[in-house]
Amino acid sequence: MNDRYFMMGAGGITLSFLIYWFMGHPFFITERLVMFLAIMTFSGTLMFFIRKARRGEEIFLRDIPGLKAVEEAVGRSTEMGKPVLYVPGIMDMDQVETVAGVIILGHVSKMTARYETTLNVPVSRAIVMKAAQEACKESYLLEGRPDMFHEDMVHYLTDEQFAYAAGVNGIMVREKPAACMYMGKFYAESLLLAETGNSIGAIQIAGTASQAQIPFFVTACDYTLIGEEFFAASAYLSQRPELIGGVKGQDMIKLIVIGLILFGVILRFLHDGGMIDFSILEFLTVK
Amino acid sequence: MKYITDLIIKMSSVDRRWIFLVIALAVILPLFFPMGLPIRATPTTQQVYDTIDALPHGSKVLVSCEYGPSTKPEIHPMVLSILRHLFKNKHKVYVTCLWPDGQFLASDALNLVARDEYGLTYGEDYVLLGFRPGNEAVVKGIVSNIRKLYTIDAKGTKVTEIPMMEGVNRFEDFDFLFSASAGYPGTIEWVQYAVDPTNVPMSTGTTSIQVNEVMPYVASGQVQGILAGMPGAAEYEKLIGVPGIGTSGMDAQSIAHLVIVLFIVLGNVGYLIERNRSKKY
Amino acid sequence: MLWKRHIPILIVAVIGSLTLFGWFIDEPNIKAFVDDDATQWFDILASFAIFLGGFNLLKMQMQKVIRKKKGWQYSLFAIGGFILAIIAGFFYKGNPDVAWGTHVTADGTLFKWIFTYMFAPLGATMFALLAFFVASASYRAFRIRNFEATLLLVAGIIIMIGRVPLGSSISSWFIMYLLVLIGGVVINSVLKNKQYTAIFVSVGIIIVTSAGSSMGWPLDQPGIFYLPHLQEWIYMNPNVAGTRSIMMGIGLGIFSTSIRYILGIEKSYIGE
Repeated sequence: MNDRYFMMGAGGITLSFLIYWFMGHPFFITERLVMFLAIMTFSGTLMFFIRKARRGEEIFLRDIPGLKAVEEAVGRSTEMGKPVLYVPGIMDMDQVETVAGVIILGHVSKMTARYETTLNVPVSRAIVMKAAQEACKESYLLEGRPDMFHEDMVHYLTDEQFAYAAGVNGIMVREKPAACMYMGKFYAESLLLAETGNSIGAIQIAGTASQAQIPFFVTACDYTLIGEEFFAASAYLSQRPELIGGVKGQDMIKLIVIGLILFGVILRFLHDGGMIDFSILEFLTVK
Repeated sequence: MKYITDLIIKMSSVDRRWIFLVIALAVILPLFFPMGLPIRATPTTQQVYDTIDALPHGSKVLVSCEYGPSTKPEIHPMVLSILRHLFKNKHKVYVTCLWPDGQFLASDALNLVARDEYGLTYGEDYVLLGFRPGNEAVVKGIVSNIRKLYTIDAKGTKVTEIPMMEGVNRFEDFDFLFSASAGYPGTIEWVQYAVDPTNVPMSTGTTSIQVNEVMPYVASGQVQGILAGMPGAAEYEKLIGVPGIGTSGMDAQSIAHLVIVLFIVLGNVGYLIERNRSKKY
Repeated sequence: MLWKRHIPILIVAVIGSLTLFGWFIDEPNIKAFVDDDATQWFDILASFAIFLGGFNLLKMQMQKVIRKKKGWQYSLFAIGGFILAIIAGFFYKGNPDVAWGTHVTADGTLFKWIFTYMFAPLGATMFALLAFFVASASYRAFRIRNFEATLLLVAGIIIMIGRVPLGSSISSWFIMYLLVLIGGVVINSVLKNKQYTAIFVSVGIIIVTSAGSSMGWPLDQPGIFYLPHLQEWIYMNPNVAGTRSIMMGIGLGIFSTSIRYILGIEKSYIGE
């Protein structure tokens, strides 16, 4: 879609909403207007930078050592003749982190197909098993190595958190993978996995947005993708312009949010001092 | 002096199995030889106690149990203490579970406290509504229409036949919520989907590791205090005057923490000595 | 192409948009879909998908037993446990007075016995391993390499000791004496002058002792050196600030990833 059509579309949507609003906005929950406008503004910012990247403009992204190390880790496994272990978290596909973990699995499986390294993906949920199998199958197909793919490389262990941790630990201790990657949503089992991986001498790369587990991964793993770095991994690994533009857009949204926070603090200060009647807290409270 | 520094450097890279052995002893010995370290309630624990104590007699309190056997040592003692406090103040207690394991443990807790200790009547003083699958959909369901979600309780009795369910149709019919949470779904989902939209007051008890995630909600006033792990459970036991598993575990936890700190200090002393030596050479 | 590419993208776009914008619409059917139906559809799918997972597990373990691969004897435990759970859940109650369904939590049933005497101790044991692993990970990883690592170490020690009853038994005066000694070590390593070090330590000890004597050595005063107060301050201030900012960043990451899915920009789920 070229710029003209895109701007016409965006203008059309804005005009339609304005007409809808001034016609009395039936069915619209007015108390949530601020959130709606925020979503539209942020989406618009994202789209702007995605389109900017698609047009071929250079967008700078800083290096993330953990992502650079993914290919190194797969290479190390190939040299040592040992498998790569990939753990896509313990939650189901309704969690965005699990989805991001399966996306990264797609990229990692392309590397294992290219280098002819064994990949082992034990999963904790049946739907994740199917999604991960599809992701690996597509990657092996794209790399021209469908013969190397077999469905059992992604296999189900159990839904139960610590039983899963025990199962993965057992795989680590028996098969001694040279590289262990933990990408997804984790809870208390994170340290169990990372410490066992450390004890077998594997190179470990973790990525999660689970705040409580980030310190454990940072302590026990060689590289850790923290929070947004994990969500940006797909852009880094694929180098696709629209994804890189999305990461840039995310950073711009963050700048907008920082600006709004500072502005909000000033407004709040003025309100508490009795200088203005407008209460930013009431305005921003979502009901 | 060189002998001592060499020994420290050697100990700073000791096999981790020695560390495991020392930790095991640090935990086991205080359980057999308790020291009776004094327990003082922190402000966040005191806030939970004060909030529950201030509830008018006969309030309808929803207690949600989302923990399993692995986190039982941390959360179960606080659930027992909270139930004791609620029953002592003659509140009506409704128990739900967002985790399937939580139903087993909630049932054990209610049998111990409500049935055996207080001799209360099921269906009139307390009820176990049980587990329903759906994560945050369950929370939303309780907020909008609890009777659509719970047609029967955990024992198979129709909700319409339970006396204390009369007048209880939605989350806003409760006067207070306590969430005993070990992860997802848990405290945060209750805050986001139930407490924030309805302004029903809430307190929570979580595992120590989760306190970080929940603390912003406590700081902003959305959650009235937090019981942080086993220390929080022990503090609450102290406040209600009934020591339990939480209190008995505190000596062991104190010594274990001290041992870990000493190991860290030892490791760093060895690291600094080695760094100085390598600078010299 | 239509089935493999366009239809999946359309499904994601429609359902995603409906779920996102449905929150702003006050219409009962849409509200019911967003609040209840969407999640319940997923739960139903996930519940049926367990068959896929279960059969995959059985297949893998049986292959190990049949082909007598290394460690095949352990697979017998996995298969045996699977079958036992099925029997306890669907075929044998153990307590005839209890109805099917409620037998999973009722006393005296096989299922409850398995939960209480097998599942619960095993889960607790695995969780307990964390205590050992935390100790070995901290010992290995917490090194004073730079200023930030030192700050992390000091904060960690304050929280670990301040959180437990041992911390509330340690007097703030003990901490002040400790700080004086640590200050002496730092001054000695920087200035390398024993005289200055001795003066610093002596003066520090005299000041702390005089202050303590005059105040009557209260356990929790001055509050800034009392570990439980310090750990509470660390939890409520720098920790909350850091947690909030990470939460916002993660929230934006989730928003951005979700929007990319809804708008069809991220298509890796169909292999592109």
